[in-house]
Amino acid sequence: MFSRLTPYLLVLPLMSFIAVFTYIPIAASINLSFREWDFLSPTMPFVGLENYRLLLSSHEFWNSVRVTALFAVISVPIRLGLALMVASYLVRETLPSRLLRGALFLPSVTSTVSIAVVFSWMFATDYGMVNAFLVSLGLGRVPWLQDPQLALWVVIIVNTWKQLGYDIVIYIAGLQAVPQELYDAAAVDGGRKGHVFRRVTVPLVMPTTYFLLVVSVIEAFQIFTIVDVMTKGGPAGATDMLVNMLYRVGFTLFDIGQGSALAVLLFILLIALALFKSRVLGRRVHYEA
Amino acid sequence: MLGNLKTLFLAGLVGLGGVAAAQADVTVEFWHSFDGGSGESLGKIIENFEAANPGIHIEAQNIGNYNDIVAKLQAAIPARRAPDAVIMEVTRYGLFADRGVLLDLTDHVDNDPLKDDLFDFAREVGVFEGKNYIVPFNSSTPVLYYNKDIFARAGFTEEPALKTYDDLLAVSKQITEKLGDEGITGIAAPGQFARWGLIMDNDSDLIDSKTGEILIDSPNTIEAYEWMASLVHEHKVASADGVTKENNGRDAFLAGKVGIMLNSTGNYTRSQKALGDNLAVLPMPCNKVCAVPIGGAGIGILSSSDKEVQDAAYKFISFAASPESNAIWFSGTGYMPINKHTAEQPVAASAVQDKPGITVAIDQLDFARGRPRPPVVTWMRASEYDVWQALALGQRDVEETLKDFAERTRKEAERTN
Repeated sequence: MFSRLTPYLLVLPLMSFIAVFTYIPIAASINLSFREWDFLSPTMPFVGLENYRLLLSSHEFWNSVRVTALFAVISVPIRLGLALMVASYLVRETLPSRLLRGALFLPSVTSTVSIAVVFSWMFATDYGMVNAFLVSLGLGRVPWLQDPQLALWVVIIVNTWKQLGYDIVIYIAGLQAVPQELYDAAAVDGGRKGHVFRRVTVPLVMPTTYFLLVVSVIEAFQIFTIVDVMTKGGPAGATDMLVNMLYRVGFTLFDIGQGSALAVLLFILLIALALFKSRVLGRRVHYEA
Repeated sequence: MLGNLKTLFLAGLVGLGGVAAAQADVTVEFWHSFDGGSGESLGKIIENFEAANPGIHIEAQNIGNYNDIVAKLQAAIPARRAPDAVIMEVTRYGLFADRGVLLDLTDHVDNDPLKDDLFDFAREVGVFEGKNYIVPFNSSTPVLYYNKDIFARAGFTEEPALKTYDDLLAVSKQITEKLGDEGITGIAAPGQFARWGLIMDNDSDLIDSKTGEILIDSPNTIEAYEWMASLVHEHKVASADGVTKENNGRDAFLAGKVGIMLNSTGNYTRSQKALGDNLAVLPMPCNKVCAVPIGGAGIGILSSSDKEVQDAAYKFISFAASPESNAIWFSGTGYMPINKHTAEQPVAASAVQDKPGITVAIDQLDFARGRPRPPVVTWMRASEYDVWQALALGQRDVEETLKDFAERTRKEAERTN
């Protein structure tokens, strides 16, 4: 009934799907990164490593690497820290907890463009709600999206607000898996709340933290929509993330070769980060209590 | 039995006839960038065209602004999903003409009586390297809009002079000083089209339309940018909100929060709807010279479409530039008439009479200038936004930044032109 080919035939549809929508585009991107093309010209001359050379020698690229790394370094710990704190309060199965979980999860399933448009009006300097509140307190207007020192923080706030609900739900699942007897034992030993949190909760949700760390770092390096809608990478490159630069170079400045080279570099960077995390942090993760 | 067979045969013939009629229909996929009142006017023109040409269906799609159209068209071409006809901004179609994406319409235009009916400025916008690639549809120049109510409340009992940079700054300062506490600012940060106009007013340009010389770092252009940037970061008479998002400045003007706005005449109708009798329209300032850029867009046809569809598309774009259609467009949007006979149409005549200020852009035509459209212009315009942001927010030195931008533009021109 089953031949040796049967397993291969069974996975073929899925493999074909992944090949068409993932592997072939990756291969096409790598190919395009060695060529000069503007989407319109009939020919795509081979230019070797020229696109990579131009990128690696440009101030714009290194600014984007710096801004994206800064965004990841600041936003990921804030997201995970906040999520763990909130999750430990919402882990109890009570009606208010369930309602709050639902409310906090809503931004995760709301359109990112809508969120970004609303927040860009809220943070507008002269016509925004945030500044209207500050003015009502007798404070001055803050140029949230025009000051390079502040614009990145606004993006971090908006992104954290959007993603927090998802992180909380995952953490709640992790917290619910922590055996109750460990908390009971800690209580018998006279452990204070903070102490129990540090010594029992945090180590035992490490697998969840590790999973969220991997996912959120990748997400941080791929952030695009919030920045595109709110700042377009400005002011003066202060929020110019790698993917925003990629879009601009490829689709606004018509340089598909350089855009593809940037995509390949981002791909390599993410693989390197994933390997680093697995080597350095993966060893500290214990999957059993 | 025989009767039944005859009925069946006749029904078959009718069915086949229907299929034949359906096959004779031509659908033209048309990408444009008009919504709101402009979208309604375009819809009316399409409706009239389809009524006059029952065999042709125009499938109109609003794709977004001019930048969106360029980006989406680029992506659609290699994917073989390009439309048959597309609205293209007058400085950005050169790249597509140069790469053979747009159909050369020279023969169509030469054999079309429309050619003699178009104003010279309108005919010129469609010509790239001696050939005709687009037929004008919505032509505009920037104009100066102001809010009479804000002016009165700021203490102007009569219309102040608004001819030079100094005039504009003085009026903007007075408005901001008097009404700043109410969240009202003097002037909206100029958008790219208005910036180009202010540079021309200062007797310069970004790229010379005749020689193609890059003038971004010429002294008069630098001076114009210094003045425009100072409105935001030095004098604080223009909100920085309009720098990071150009439409914020326009929206604030429409909301009655800004005294002066320099913007395309295509904003006339929405400004009038928002401000009613408080809207006043004046020509652009003449700082060193009187000069305004001609903007707007025309409709081009994709060379990838079938011949039959291309012919149908040309019929449509010729119809859209006819006096009847152009009168609907002019009165509904405020864009300039492009056809010499538009003014003879009753709907246009009544718009001239009932809508004060709608003719200001037409009056400016005496000193209107065409703009360059070699392929590098598309790159230059896309890159200029970041440059302007850095200057207006006071983050970079104007002269140094413009010299660097000019250099980059020259390199890009070498690569793309």
